[in-house]
Amino acid sequence: MDRRHHILVCTFFIWVLLLTGCATEHRFVKKVAFKDKNKVVMTFAGPVDETWAKDVANYSVYEKQDPDILLKITDIALSPDKRTVTLTFEDALNQDQAHILTVTEMMSAGRSQGTAILTVKKLYFGYLFSILIGAMIINNFVFTKYLGLCVFFGTSQKKTTAVGMGITFTIVIVFASMMSWFLYQFVLKPYHLDFLQVVVFIGLVSLSVQAVDTILRKVNPALFKAFGVYLVLVIANCIIIAVPLILADNEYNAWESLMLSLGAGTGFLIALFLMSSVREKLELANVPPTFRGLPIAFVVAGLFALAFLGFSGMSIF
Amino acid sequence: MDPALVKLALGGLTVLGVIGLFFGIGLALAAHKFAVEINPKIEEVKETLAGAQ
Repeated sequence: MDRRHHILVCTFFIWVLLLTGCATEHRFVKKVAFKDKNKVVMTFAGPVDETWAKDVANYSVYEKQDPDILLKITDIALSPDKRTVTLTFEDALNQDQAHILTVTEMMSAGRSQGTAILTVKKLYFGYLFSILIGAMIINNFVFTKYLGLCVFFGTSQKKTTAVGMGITFTIVIVFASMMSWFLYQFVLKPYHLDFLQVVVFIGLVSLSVQAVDTILRKVNPALFKAFGVYLVLVIANCIIIAVPLILADNEYNAWESLMLSLGAGTGFLIALFLMSSVREKLELANVPPTFRGLPIAFVVAGLFALAFLGFSGMSIF
Repeated sequence: MDPALVKLALGGLTVLGVIGLFFGIGLALAAHKFAVEINPKIEEVKETLAGAQ
C-alpha cells in the first residue's frame, strides 16, 4: 500500500515535468528545424494554401538576440502534400543561436489558423547534453567560477568524505533547484515578485536540506550516518544558491534546469574527488612548513583551475 | 503611496506567507511521520559519564 502511494506520487511529478517541459508553441505547427546551412523547414499539421505559403511577407525571422535585424528570405518551397514549407535564406544561419520565426495568419483550406511565434533551435537532446557537460566540466563551478570553496576545502581531505559530500550535494541540489525553478516560474513571476528570488531560494534550499535530513534519518539510517555532518554543510555552499539564480536569469525550462543542476552537482563531485586524491598524496609529501595545510591546498586548486581552463570555449554539438 | 505598489506588497506578503505556511506544515508533518524514537537512556548515561573526551 505504502509503496503504491510512492509510485503514484512519482508518476504525477513526472507527468507535470513532461507537460511543462515539452509544451509545443503552436497547435498547427508540428515541427521547425534548421536544414543545411541556410534553410529552415516547417512542418504543419494540415495542408496550407499555396498563395499564402509563397508570400514572403508572411514570414519574419531574426536571431533571438537581435530582434531588429530581420534575415532576408530568397526562396520559399512548398512540398507536394502542402504540409512542409522550406525557407531559404540569403546568408548562412548561425545555428548556435536560437532564431525566432514569426508566421502570420497561417491559411489552411481557406481558414486562418492564427499567427505563430516559433523558436528554431538545434537538436534538443544535444542542447540538453551540452548544458550538462558545460556545467560539469567546461564551466565547472568550483574551478572556473570559484564558488563553494569553503565546503570544497573543508571536505576534500579524505576520499571517502569527499565522495560522500559530493553525492549528498548532487541529490540536494537537484531537489532544491527543481523546486525553486517551479516556484519561480509559476508563483514569483506571475505575481511580479521576481525581486524576492534570493530570499525565496535560500528558504527553499534550507527546506530541502531539512526535508532530506528528516526523511533519510528514518528511511535509511545507514546512509544518514554515512552522510553525517555534510548534509547540514550543504546549506553553506554557494553553488546551491547560484544555480537557481542562473535558472531564473536564463529562463530555462524544466529539462534544462534539471540538466544544469545535475551538471553542477556532478561537477562539484568531480572537483572534490580530484582534490581529495591530491591532498591524500600531499599528506606524505615534504611540504615547506609555511605551506602546510590550507595554503598548499589553495595552490593545488589554482593548478586545477589552470588545467580546467583548457576546456574553456569548447562547445559540444 | 502608489496603490499599485501597495497591492504588490500585500500580494507578495500573502503569497510568501502561504508558501511558508504550506512548507512549514509539510515539514512538521514529515517530522511527525518520520519520527525516530531516541532512547532517553542514552542521554542519561552520557550525563553521568565524566565527559572529558
